[in-house]
Amino acid sequence: MNSQLTPVQLDRISEKNNRYKKWSFWVQILLLAVLLAAPMMSSFRFMDAAAKIMIFTVVVASYDLILGYTGLLSFAHAMFFGIGAYSIALLSYHSASTHWYHLLLAVVIALAISVLLAMVLAFFSLRTKAIFFAMLSLALADFFHILGITWSDLTLGEDGITFSLPGILNIEWQGVEILGVHFGPRRITYYLILVISISLFLFLLRFVRSPLGRVLKSIRDNEERSIALGFRSFHYQIYSIVFGSAISSLGGILYGLWLRFVDPASVLGVFGMVDYLLMVIIGGLGTLYGSIIGVAFFISTQSWLPDILQTFADLFPDVAIMNRMADRWMAFLGLLFIVAILLFPKGVVGTVRDYLDKRKQ
Amino acid sequence: MSTEEILTQPANPAGVNLKKVAIVCCAVGIWFLPLVWINPVAYAVLTIAGLAFGMMLFMVASGMTIIFGLMDILNMAHGALFAFGAYVGGYWMLNLLEQLGWVEWGTEAQSIGSFLIAIAAGGLAGALLGFLVERIIIRNVYGDHLKQIMITMGVLYLMTEVIKIVWGANPEVVLVPMAFQGSIDVYDVIINKFRIVAIIVGLLIFGGIQLVLLKTKLGLIVRAGVENREAIQVTGYNINRVFTGVFTAGSALAGIGGTMWCVFQQQVFPEIGLENIIFAMIVVIIGGLGSVTGSFLGALIVGLSFNYVAFLLPKLALGVNILIMAIILLIRPWGLLGKE
Repeated sequence: MNSQLTPVQLDRISEKNNRYKKWSFWVQILLLAVLLAAPMMSSFRFMDAAAKIMIFTVVVASYDLILGYTGLLSFAHAMFFGIGAYSIALLSYHSASTHWYHLLLAVVIALAISVLLAMVLAFFSLRTKAIFFAMLSLALADFFHILGITWSDLTLGEDGITFSLPGILNIEWQGVEILGVHFGPRRITYYLILVISISLFLFLLRFVRSPLGRVLKSIRDNEERSIALGFRSFHYQIYSIVFGSAISSLGGILYGLWLRFVDPASVLGVFGMVDYLLMVIIGGLGTLYGSIIGVAFFISTQSWLPDILQTFADLFPDVAIMNRMADRWMAFLGLLFIVAILLFPKGVVGTVRDYLDKRKQ
Repeated sequence: MSTEEILTQPANPAGVNLKKVAIVCCAVGIWFLPLVWINPVAYAVLTIAGLAFGMMLFMVASGMTIIFGLMDILNMAHGALFAFGAYVGGYWMLNLLEQLGWVEWGTEAQSIGSFLIAIAAGGLAGALLGFLVERIIIRNVYGDHLKQIMITMGVLYLMTEVIKIVWGANPEVVLVPMAFQGSIDVYDVIINKFRIVAIIVGLLIFGGIQLVLLKTKLGLIVRAGVENREAIQVTGYNINRVFTGVFTAGSALAGIGGTMWCVFQQQVFPEIGLENIIFAMIVVIIGGLGSVTGSFLGALIVGLSFNYVAFLLPKLALGVNILIMAIILLIRPWGLLGKE
């Protein structure tokens, strides 16, 4: 009987049987509870960090699909993110009053543009060496960054766009009381982002465990052998890039929903890619759950590191260079990035998995 | 046609490769095509500006392409070396010499001398930083493209922040030596003096690289290393030492390019490295990875087309480079002079 089942099906059956015995399952439940409870805290900073963690988890997980599961280094992921963010911002800003169908339209437009661009990019760059993909995507991403700055009739240039959202997401909406808890537009947006980002993350998990995801992994590990087995690696790599990029643009829409403000430096900037890379590396390449850890680490560092450095710099008020170093806290992240690649190439989740595997033996 | 006939027929009756002639004719035709929309005087000015721009792109791209060809490393940190050279040579050194009264007010000889010292300082700064980067960081990631690109991108990011710590985050004005200020007028065509200097320096560097590659023993080793790295090791040369040497030389070129660039633009800013690494990459891809002559051609194509299009349709200026790159990759996916 078992012989008729494919390895994928066998894997799924064992997964189903062992689900409640695994500690990682309960960690997930705990995480979900924390995310559900986050807006109930009085501190806005905490809710903001939680929302950003969810949004960037989607983006970084989709990046991990391209980098960790397919082995292609793309510098255009921030560009796709920016396309999503700008599609909702431009539609809301340039229409007289925002309606719900604008959100839907933004999703459709963002998906269409990102799928098309990803296909063109992949088609041009994957024909020769994989290294071309990195270079071409960097050039294209920089082009979009400059476009965002210079096309100021449409994008308002470097000042960025502030826009308002329709209906119950609008800042002016009064909110409702449910069971004594006040639900304003912020909290509603938060829960909307929660639902969408979790479903996108689950979708990605499902994707990498599907037969298609397994083929991608085999191409990453040994391209010649997968080709010999009859898989067209070119096609599969294009699927992965298109899929990952489309999810990234959806992440951009979520970002737009949350901040109601976009500018070229924050959503299209090429150095934003180094942040994503850092998040993926810290969490561990090829481990989707790692992206949660990487993003949580990065976002919390981003929120608290400037404060820590400033208190440190205040101890030496006379030394000018200390103050300047405190201002440039991103330099420390850059240093961390280099050290992480050199010393912990497998990231947190990868290292923990290795350790657990060793203990089992 | 039978085999015998092919063998007896002279392969090339007139002694010229017709295909090559056709390609050159097409290239020259496209070069003069903008004359349809631009009047000849403006065209001449733009051409000289484009050549100068291309020469400076070549200075950055040549180091990158040699390093890739020999060491198989795509070095994003090249932008960091470029920016470091620009700040040390073009900004710090020229300001230091200005305090002696050499740069903007001194005699002709003093201003030319200050420029040469600045270039030397920029090249030295680039070489020093490049040496450290190769020894400390890149040495650990040989053979892994993905890690190399990521880690060198990290170096570029870190260096941009370090430059902001040391010299501040705002754009700074760069002094132009007195001897190169102003312009000369040749039959109504106004030529900026510094552009001529840039073209001369670029040609000298191109000639110098070719001379070293073709006429010296070191060049022989490097060229052989591009073909087959293992064979070099087998014949008893320490390839690691050659790697370090070539990397340092490429870094010095990037530093010189940075110094030239910021004097040309008369300003310097921390993100200058990222901006130029993208231009340099386009040049390297167009020319073919690992080919110096290819990147020379690529640099001229990018420099000229950038200037023509920036004059005709300012908003498309960067887009046209990507468009040219896409067209060339469609026809020859390995670049103009690259290998299949």
